[in-house]
Formats: sequence, structure tokens, C-alpha cells
Amino acid sequence: MDFARIALTVIEYALYAAGAFFFLAGSIGLLRFPDVYTRLHSLTKADNLGLGLVCMGLAVRSGSAIVALKLLFIWMLVLAAGSTACYLVAESARSAGIEPWTREARR
Amino acid sequence: MTVAFDVLLIGTLLWIAIGSLSEAKLFKSVVMFVVFGLFLAIAWVRLGAPDVALAEAALGAGVTGTLMLDAVGHIRSRTTPYPLDPGEHPAEGEDDDV
Amino acid sequence: MMDPVLMGLGAVIVMTAFLGILRIQRGPSGADRMLAAMLFGTAGVALALILAEAAGAGGARDAALVFALLGAITAVAFVKRAWGAGD
Repeated sequence: MDFARIALTVIEYALYAAGAFFFLAGSIGLLRFPDVYTRLHSLTKADNLGLGLVCMGLAVRSGSAIVALKLLFIWMLVLAAGSTACYLVAESARSAGIEPWTREARR
Repeated sequence: MTVAFDVLLIGTLLWIAIGSLSEAKLFKSVVMFVVFGLFLAIAWVRLGAPDVALAEAALGAGVTGTLMLDAVGHIRSRTTPYPLDPGEHPAEGEDDDV
Repeated sequence: MMDPVLMGLGAVIVMTAFLGILRIQRGPSGADRMLAAMLFGTAGVALALILAEAAGAGGARDAALVFALLGAITAVAFVKRAWGAGD
């Protein structure tokens, strides 16, 4: 009983730490990457993964199946919305004539 | 930690509000306004009023932000995209005008 | 009483969102600014969920759902209306 609770707490905190790390990585990528497409990549992948890990940690903490299911559905909605928005922005950036960054173009 | 969270939240909220009001370019200002609505909703949740937060997110950031983006699109389509002086043209992929 | 671990996590996420403001101010194109707004949407969902858990207010999870929808709607409005000169 006691051991299980400690193990769950450790798992929960590890998930929080991983989620915070991916959020941080996504934001730094948004700041540091050279063009729109790479920034989209950092935002829609790293940030949504961070949100998923935080959701998992919160689900472990809540200890209720209903709440965990709701968190899962919220995460899936964010994933669907994020990929749709990502496709739309990339498509319109492409048709607006923004060229993807290449290593050669920089030199 | 709670105090740190509150201070960060309030500081970010004030920073976005000042940025939104003091921005010369319309589009930047509108994006800042949408972000301000989102953060104000978070502040409402923190104050223990999730219903107000829901209304703020849906109306303050969603509907008003969408209407303002639409208005920016209209303004942009009715004005010349670049200043008339050819030396002032922004380079490819550079800053937008409006 | 709020759990300090949850509030610390929330503080970290607010800080990452703060980095997004710099991208809004730096630009350069409108799409980059929209990306920063999308970052705020994801961070807002996470913050609402964390606060819901910390304060024991289940209603905040519905607010998180609205945030998730809002990001998509704003992006669609941006792409269809505010991008480029033509309508």
C-alpha cells in the first residue's frame, strides 16, 4: 500500500518533469529555429508531447478513470486541432512564397 | 511556489497588455490581444471562477479575436501593401506592413 | 492549499509561454506570430488542467477544452482572412 503510493508519486513527478522539459524544448525551438516550417515542427511536436506527458501525470494523480478519460480526450482534441492548424499554416506559407530554409541558402 | 506562479502570471499578463496597446502594427497587436484573452482566462481559473474563464476564452479571445483578424484582413486588402517609395520595400519573407 | 509541485510546474509552463511573446514581437511574418499564439493555446490547456487539479475545480477542464478549440479556430480565421492582401 505505502510502496504503491510512493511508486505512483515517483511516476507522476517523472511525467511532470518530462512534460516541463518538452514544453521548454518547444519554446526554445520556437525562438531559435530559422524559418516558419521548422518552428511549426518544434511547436506541434514537442509542445503537444509535453502536454500529453503532463496530462498523463495528472491522470495518475487524479486516480479516477473518468477524469483520466477526459484528460485523454482533451489531449486528443489538442492533437487534432494542432495538426490541422499546422497543415493550414504550412500550406498558406508555402503558397505565399516563403521558401524553406536550407543550409546552402544561408551561406 | 504558489506565490512564484502568481507573480509570473501577473507579470506576463501585464507585459502582454502593454505590448498589445503600445504596438504600432495592427496584426501584431491583434495576436497580442488574443494571447491576452487566453492568459486572462487562466487568471480567472486561478481565481476560482472557471465559468468566467470559459466565457472569457470563448468570447474575449475566440470571437473577438477572430473578428479582429477578419478586420485586419479587410484593412490590408483595401490599402497598398507596401509604401510607395521603392527603397522602403521589405525583403522577401521580411516583416509585414500592417 | 495548493500543491507546490503542481504550482511549480505551472510556473515553468508560464515561463515557456513568456518566451512565445518574444517570437510575437520578433516576427518576421504573420505566420510566425500565429505560431506563438498556438503555443499559448497549448500552454493554456496545460495550465487550466494543472489548476483544475490543484484547486480541485473540475469545471476548469471544460475551460481547457474551449482553449483547445480556440487555437484551431483562430488559426483557420488567420489563414482564411488575415493572410495576404487578397480576400
